[in-house]
Amino acid sequence: MSNELLEQHLKKDYEWGFTTDIDTDTFAPGLTEDVVRALSKKKQEPEWLLEFRLKAFRAWQNMPEPNHWAHLPYPKIDYQSISYYSAPKVKPTLNSLDEVDPELLKTFEKLGISLEEQKRLTGVSSNIAVDAVFDSVSVKTTFRETLAEKGIIFCSFSEAVQEHPELIKKYMAMVVPATDNYFAALNSAVFSDGSFCYIPKGVRCPMELSTYFRINASGTGQFERTLIVADEGSYVSYLEGCTAPQRDENQLHAAVVEIIAHKNAEVKYSTVQNWYPGDKDGKGGIYNFVTKRGICLEENSKISWTQVETGSAITWKYPSVILKGDNSVGEFYSVAVTNNKQEADTGTKMIHIGKNTRSTIISKGISAGYSNNSYRGLVQVRKGATNARNFSQCDSLLMSDTSGAHTFPYIEIKDKSAVVEHEATTSKIGEDQLFYCKQRGIDTEKAIGLIVNGYCKEVLNKLPMEFAVEAQKLLAISLEGSVG
Amino acid sequence: MLAEKTNTAQQVMDSLSGFAGKVNFISDAALADSLRYLETYGIPTNKHEDYKYCNLDAVLKREFKSLSAPAETGADINALRLEDTITLVMVNGVFREDLSDKTVLRGLHISSFTNLSEKEKTLLTQQANPKNDAFVALNTAFSGQGFFMTVERNTELMIPVHILYVSDSENPAMTHARNFIHVEDSATATVIEHFVNIKNCKVFSNFLSEKQIGNNARLTVYTLQDEGTAGYSVNTNQVELLRDAYYDNTTVTLSGQVVRNNHNVVLSGSNSQAHLYGLFKINGNQLVDNHTLMDHKVPHCESNELYKGIIDGKSTGVFNGKIFVRKDAQKTNAYQSSKNILLSDEATINTKPQLEIYADDVKCSHGTSTGKIDEQAMFYLNARGIGKESAARLLLQAFSGEVTDKLEVDSVKQLVEQRLNYLAV
Repeated sequence: MSNELLEQHLKKDYEWGFTTDIDTDTFAPGLTEDVVRALSKKKQEPEWLLEFRLKAFRAWQNMPEPNHWAHLPYPKIDYQSISYYSAPKVKPTLNSLDEVDPELLKTFEKLGISLEEQKRLTGVSSNIAVDAVFDSVSVKTTFRETLAEKGIIFCSFSEAVQEHPELIKKYMAMVVPATDNYFAALNSAVFSDGSFCYIPKGVRCPMELSTYFRINASGTGQFERTLIVADEGSYVSYLEGCTAPQRDENQLHAAVVEIIAHKNAEVKYSTVQNWYPGDKDGKGGIYNFVTKRGICLEENSKISWTQVETGSAITWKYPSVILKGDNSVGEFYSVAVTNNKQEADTGTKMIHIGKNTRSTIISKGISAGYSNNSYRGLVQVRKGATNARNFSQCDSLLMSDTSGAHTFPYIEIKDKSAVVEHEATTSKIGEDQLFYCKQRGIDTEKAIGLIVNGYCKEVLNKLPMEFAVEAQKLLAISLEGSVG
Repeated sequence: MLAEKTNTAQQVMDSLSGFAGKVNFISDAALADSLRYLETYGIPTNKHEDYKYCNLDAVLKREFKSLSAPAETGADINALRLEDTITLVMVNGVFREDLSDKTVLRGLHISSFTNLSEKEKTLLTQQANPKNDAFVALNTAFSGQGFFMTVERNTELMIPVHILYVSDSENPAMTHARNFIHVEDSATATVIEHFVNIKNCKVFSNFLSEKQIGNNARLTVYTLQDEGTAGYSVNTNQVELLRDAYYDNTTVTLSGQVVRNNHNVVLSGSNSQAHLYGLFKINGNQLVDNHTLMDHKVPHCESNELYKGIIDGKSTGVFNGKIFVRKDAQKTNAYQSSKNILLSDEATINTKPQLEIYADDVKCSHGTSTGKIDEQAMFYLNARGIGKESAARLLLQAFSGEVTDKLEVDSVKQLVEQRLNYLAV
């Protein structure tokens, strides 16, 4: 029974695997100091930013590639065979959507994020402002004017460099220093674009902000940066989505996301990651090496990461929170699904520094096919972090006898008033649960969907409405027929 | 770092040149593997993932130049004997037949490493692979006169065997005690492994025990570690369980400056069962690092771990447990739990419970918790007229009880309770 279903699923195509045929302006492959300079020049960047890039590049050259510790076997990446810049040939400035390449707009429509439609539906059902990043460059940010009325800055990173250099200078690399790790250094040297968001004092962002990433050109890597600053007493909910075309080659995605939360501010960051995972033999797919980190800078701030990871051939991602302010709160909710030959090593770090800080970690891993899915996390309570509290739960669900589920939690506590709990379980879908459903006339496939959705409910509940629906669909597609 | 590593390795090589010929009970191949490992990797520093929280290289380089000590002790062994047990004595890593009880127990057979039968020789070094760990390699290269204990087929040892590992050296020295405990098919035994440091001398005890538990056999081991405030130790247990075998170990760390326990259990026969329990209560600058590996190789096995720590002063406790379920090990049940109480602001606990699972029809879980003494429980006792200090002691005793209750030999339990000293005012 199961083999048939499995076959069905394995034959299932990646829905977002199309490519868009538009003119691009692409650098020749290779990475040298000249490339970094050319990139900076192309973006008409100020001197200090070029310096920042060069510093990162020089550091990167001397760093060993970290491939020994993660539970991720992958071939050596040839960083010289990647093109570090690819942009749709669009006019330099865009004032309205009409000026965007229609091919591009079609792509986004296919992806289900119709920019036009959203413009029409202002403030109605899909209340999301989108910044779409196509290959290396942000193509259009919607709702900018509406947001500007409230003083909210939401634009592409390059624009922010030109228009708000003081903010970028102040906050960039505050949480993820240029030399933080190998991939962050690489990103700092060659990042091409990304999103910038600033919520001023006391403002509650009236809509969800969203970035949509799309790798289109072949032979390129994508290196974007997202910087979110929530000033005193503000609130923002931020969404991120990503897809890529289906190709036989592996493409590299190395992003950096930084979040800074000031006093009483709250940032909620949700990701639905659906990069192309490669075919059933593990050919092609995106290598996703992402550094995401937030800091609760002052008291009573809160940062919450929610992620649904279904794509990428390789996922290497640890969204973290530094709880520096007193009474600050960090949260991490994750569902990671791997199928076929996918490999995921993902988790979080919660660094408790301030007093009365709290963190919650809920991680749900699902492994099917021949994949491996690892949770790797750190909970650290520093000396003086009085009354720190952490609760972690990492569950793994195994859907096949050829897949693996692993848990590598690190817990380091240096304060006696800390209360830290960690639980992890690994099991497969219970025969009795399946039997119960089938007995009531629900077929195997639907029963599995039901059970998996129930298993992930704690996390899916944390997603904003629009994403929750997408995520549930994604889960169903990713796992269709994969249980034996 | 490379230069430092070479220093340690060089020291080992130098000492070995005049020594290697004597260890005729270890095969040449195993000896060569050990040396090659030491030369290539040296002693692990805290850059090594398995020794992240326990930097032994620094200790060894600084303190221990001598890699052996004379097998002499002025201690009164009789004072260390436990009631109703058979006592075997090792001094500074060398088996002292003259100080040990002459065994007349049916089914028990002890032979010194110099006197091994061919069968025993082939078994030795089969469990512990010197190619995996520096301390196994060191022990393989340097172990002196250990002993091979066999519990013969279909016999049940009526009296526990009490093995005393005595450290006693004027000068700082490293010792390499080693044994092999072979419980043959359908045999049953209880063993007490007792480490004592007589005059609280500076000794680095690098102990290695290989254990094989045959089909349908049972082995219960109580490990008491009492190396004093100046003693360092690495204790490696490499255990293999065959079909329907049962292994049960309770390790209580009573003292020791740095204590590192590597407890590796391989479940290679179906329906076998392993239980590991551990307890440590530390203070001052002590460091206790419990490392366990449950390697589930075949279906239908069960493993269970419970480690508890009470950490006071500036001491550090570490628990790193790994449950490894191989692809074929379906229907595995594996549980792991680590619970710790921090009593001071300077104390540290690092835990890393790992699951690595490649089979789908399994039930595996781990849990770890760290906290202080429960305030509600404290209030409950205070409200009933029990002072803060006695109440704390009572609660800690209850906390330890879950592990000390596993000690089913009365003399051992008494010794532990007396040493943990909860009831002293």
